[in-house]
Amino acid sequence: MTLLSITNLKTWFPSRDGIVKAVNAVDLEIKENERFGLIGETGSGKTILGMTIMRLLQPDTMIEGEIVYKGRDLLKLSEEEMRKIRGKEIAMILQNPTTSLNPVLKVGNQIAEAIRLHQGLDKRAAKEKVVEMLEAVKIPSPEKRVNEYPHEFSGGMRERVMIAMALACNPTLIIADEPTTGLDVTIKMQIVRLMKEVTKQRAMLFITHDLDAAAEICDNIAVMYAGELVEYAKTEAIFKNPIHPYIQGFLNSLPNRGLNPIRGMSPSLIGIPNGCRFYPRCDCAEESCKINHPEMVELGNGHFVRCLQYDRS
Amino acid sequence: MIEVKDLRKHFSSGIWKKHSTKAVDGISFQIERGETLGLVGESGCGKTTIGRLLLRLLEPTSGKVIFDGIDLQQLKKAELRRLRPRMQMIFQDPDASLNPRMKIADSIAEPLKLWRKMSKSEQKERVSELLETVGLNPEHLNRYPYQLSGGQNQRVVLARVLALNPDFIVADEPTSSLDVSVQAQILNLMQELKEEFNLTVLFISHDLEVVRHISDRIAVMYRGKIVEIGDTNDILGYERHPYTNELISPASIEEDALLQGDMKPVNASGCVFYPRCPFAAEICSKREPGMVEVEKGHWVLCER
Repeated sequence: MTLLSITNLKTWFPSRDGIVKAVNAVDLEIKENERFGLIGETGSGKTILGMTIMRLLQPDTMIEGEIVYKGRDLLKLSEEEMRKIRGKEIAMILQNPTTSLNPVLKVGNQIAEAIRLHQGLDKRAAKEKVVEMLEAVKIPSPEKRVNEYPHEFSGGMRERVMIAMALACNPTLIIADEPTTGLDVTIKMQIVRLMKEVTKQRAMLFITHDLDAAAEICDNIAVMYAGELVEYAKTEAIFKNPIHPYIQGFLNSLPNRGLNPIRGMSPSLIGIPNGCRFYPRCDCAEESCKINHPEMVELGNGHFVRCLQYDRS
Repeated sequence: MIEVKDLRKHFSSGIWKKHSTKAVDGISFQIERGETLGLVGESGCGKTTIGRLLLRLLEPTSGKVIFDGIDLQQLKKAELRRLRPRMQMIFQDPDASLNPRMKIADSIAEPLKLWRKMSKSEQKERVSELLETVGLNPEHLNRYPYQLSGGQNQRVVLARVLALNPDFIVADEPTSSLDVSVQAQILNLMQELKEEFNLTVLFISHDLEVVRHISDRIAVMYRGKIVEIGDTNDILGYERHPYTNELISPASIEEDALLQGDMKPVNASGCVFYPRCPFAAEICSKREPGMVEVEKGHWVLCER
């Protein structure tokens, strides 16, 4: 069953230097209980995509396309209807728990906010629920920790608080934006395990640039480059048989795969040229790549790629 | 080149300065000329503190740092200043280590202005030369740091560090804020520069994979102590310490042991790793192990 289906989504917003075309013609589908990985580097538009789904962007953002969740187009909902979905149906784990948590509020109260809003529990019942949530994310001695402030938590523990907050109202879909960034290897491993455990009965959009974490958690992976998806396949296929030159280069630049960098750097999302967006950095580029913009084509077996080598239309 | 002897740094905190944190707790090691020593460990284990102590950006509580035969602790301020150009540091966040109001050209020229008597044109020439060494174009000269990407800014930092031909560089997580594809570019560049200028490097990182590529030897740190040190191949193939093993294959850790271990206070008399160690024996809680040489040049801090 399809839970969330995004069709031809565009998110553009104005800036001083021109229009930032952060998300361009993105199509994707998340099924119930699916763990969907969205991989990309800084500035590829992956966070903006997550924020677009949650409708958390500035009012002057230009959004086109459809985001259908359980049969309803989220982009057409009123602000009030959307508020009932945020946190309750779809919850987001924001990047960087250090800045996402309010430093002057007790952790327990921050988690209780969503619970009281959506479930109408009184103070005491909400607190019990918070303790339960902290237990669920394996924070030791939760009864004591609810009354502490974010600065009393370590980085990994703060990430757990963020996860507890997202889980508080038992959402159907979680959007996790780089939950493992900035954590030590050992702590990262714990968080990855926890994420896997809490998504046994729900769907997740896992946004990350950490390939190891994505490989561990996700069923399917989409790769984003310069505001568009360039490859989509089962996790195994992405790692064993990557097609797009970008993801091949990305994998080869990992320290444990030889540390061979992709030359050049990611393009700016302002004033994107025609043609293939990876063209200037691509080793297999031909003259036609400069002019023609490739479309996503299926190679069979649910493996999609956006590259002119395969798009002969 | 660098010799560290029983170095300690304790920070005290709290209103009455009663609470003390042993950031660096009795560490000794050497770095040969032209060698890269990788220093790995999780955040908060004291890696950065060591880097700062080596350059005497921090005063140690006790112990010695000997740089090219000179005991840094004995130097007066002016003497230390004269030594500074020979040792440089690369910080974690390139965007934050460049002055946002200075053009790239001025940032790179800054050390030259301070230390070398050069005419304006000589200076300009040297700056262009440095820029080329780190793979940037002359068009970048008149830009400001915010106009460049993180990777490009890190190249600028490298150019500035190289400006005075240093002998020793402390690189404190130089790639941790960069994307993977850019990280590879910067690491390769550092490797080339190191060989070209015969640099001695202390490379600090929490990523063992990154460190293995760039280091001749690796030191693994846990809670203020070096628990294992040796040749890269020894550490990454024949590791002896259980903590090194955890870093190499984090998937093998028992979650509960890990979670509880970090919470427990370290027993003052026992091994630092004892609460988390899967092989902990009775003796580990009572006696602090000493460094043992298991093979030539491969030392381990473990009772086994």
